[in-house]
Amino acid sequence: MTRPPIDRAAFLRSGLAAAGLGIAGILYGFPLYWLFVTSLKSKAELFSSTVHLLPHNPTFAAYSSVLIDRGFWVLLKNSVIVCFSTVVVTLVLGLIITYPITRLPVPPRLRVNILIWALSLRFLPPIAVVIPYFAIVRTLQLYDQPIALIGIYSLFNLPFAIWMLKGFLEEIPLELEDAALVDGASRWIAFWRVLLPLAAPGVMAAGIIVFTFAWSEFLFALILTATPNSQTFPVGVQGLVTQFEIIWNDMAASGVIAMALPLALMVIGRRYIVAGLTFGVIREK
Amino acid sequence: MRAGRRRLSRDERLAYLILLPALGAVFVIVTIPFVLVVIQSISADDGTLVGLRNYSRALSNPLLYDALRATATYSLIVLPIEILFGLGFALLVHRTVRRPGLRAAIYVLAILPLVVPPVAIGVVARLVYAPSYGVLNVILERFGAIHQEINWLGDPNLAMLAVASVDIWQWTPFVYLVLFSGLQTVPRESVEAAQLDGADWWAQFRYIDLAYLRPLFLLIIFFRLADVLRVFDHVFILTGGGPGTTTQLLSLYMYRVEFKYFDSGQAAALAVLVLVSFSILYRLISRALPLERT
Repeated sequence: MTRPPIDRAAFLRSGLAAAGLGIAGILYGFPLYWLFVTSLKSKAELFSSTVHLLPHNPTFAAYSSVLIDRGFWVLLKNSVIVCFSTVVVTLVLGLIITYPITRLPVPPRLRVNILIWALSLRFLPPIAVVIPYFAIVRTLQLYDQPIALIGIYSLFNLPFAIWMLKGFLEEIPLELEDAALVDGASRWIAFWRVLLPLAAPGVMAAGIIVFTFAWSEFLFALILTATPNSQTFPVGVQGLVTQFEIIWNDMAASGVIAMALPLALMVIGRRYIVAGLTFGVIREK
Repeated sequence: MRAGRRRLSRDERLAYLILLPALGAVFVIVTIPFVLVVIQSISADDGTLVGLRNYSRALSNPLLYDALRATATYSLIVLPIEILFGLGFALLVHRTVRRPGLRAAIYVLAILPLVVPPVAIGVVARLVYAPSYGVLNVILERFGAIHQEINWLGDPNLAMLAVASVDIWQWTPFVYLVLFSGLQTVPRESVEAAQLDGADWWAQFRYIDLAYLRPLFLLIIFFRLADVLRVFDHVFILTGGGPGTTTQLLSLYMYRVEFKYFDSGQAAALAVLVLVSFSILYRLISRALPLERT
């Protein structure tokens, strides 16, 4: 077998690909590089009149300044608690709603209506909801309490959870549960011992995606929190940006911290993120 | 036979037993705020009913039209560019990158911007565009392209572009991922048949690929529109709606009415108007969506 001669079209194509990928790489890589380099700068370097593109004497001082001196580790802790609780509430509610519509005989109309209704929540602009929700939270004395955030985050992530879990549960054959039921297991046992272990990867993926969405949320957190008692990390980041004199390295360090966790989680959930964002229309390869 | 039927009805009963409380609770939780916001929109601050006065105040406020204009401008910049770049990049990678390893690497890199908090991207944008420390000016000066600092966030037109560029940066990869996965569903046979017939790449795109991508464009427009109309975070971080009101999108405007002017009657009226117009918009768009509905 002889190698086909390199034709000009193929050469041109790979040149085009390299150029495209290279430009995209710079447009995406450089801003992130600049964020990271800035976070490694010392206060002294920020005051020098020339801006260095390469790091001089990198230091982690900005990170300890943000997390310890400014006390942002508390906000980080709040974020983790709020996001984790949101995941649990959303998944439980999501399973309660998707189990009957995928495993039990319900009229197709009901099923479709539930799904369309869930999708309509996706279109709802949060700012229109936050105004009445703010009044409710104040009345119930939940202002500046993490539980107010957990409630609203669960509600807003429920549509994603319903559509994703529906997709995963549908893929598991009904016969597997039926076999357990015939053997005398109760519905609950069949769900807990047979269905849930099979659906676990999908449920995990949905949980990871809900976690990253809740982690990113800013508008509700800005409005419903006031003190480190319940403020989440993005609210802290915002505080560093909008203050009168911006401390660049602290701001950059807070940005890096805010990005780190979702990026790490995506290593596990990467196959499902597109499915999640498109409500299961685009399935993973 | 009888046993089978009885089991079926028991399952049905179980379905309603699980669904009704859960859906009922969610329905109540979702509905109460709507009822409250309608009441708030026809009341004054002291609770007396004022009819539609809040609505007429909301609709006669020129700032509302500034916000609508800014939102429209933002959408008209962001959506076409994201779709065009996303499509271009999907076609480029689909046609030229053959190595599965490289494709997988591009996939992973493309999903990363999607999960980064918009607030953190706002921070990055600040580091790029800000006066004095912003790296864009630094680089342009090093290359001699400019001799004076450009005030990216202080000039009305540039500020809108800066804010839009953040959206484009974050969401073009989403368009790419959706369209790329669509291109992969195009059957190889029809592509090969077309190539044998001498179709150039444009004909191949126009007559084959596009047929498979068309429903995905609708999907992209649905999800992107839903997001673009609710944009708040990165604009709040980057410009706060300024300079003046040039980047004060609808969400930022409503935030300001409620939490800066403390005009809750007008804010509630705005919220009701937005909810009504959005549900109409949702009805129009969702009907055309290629979602599975069974």
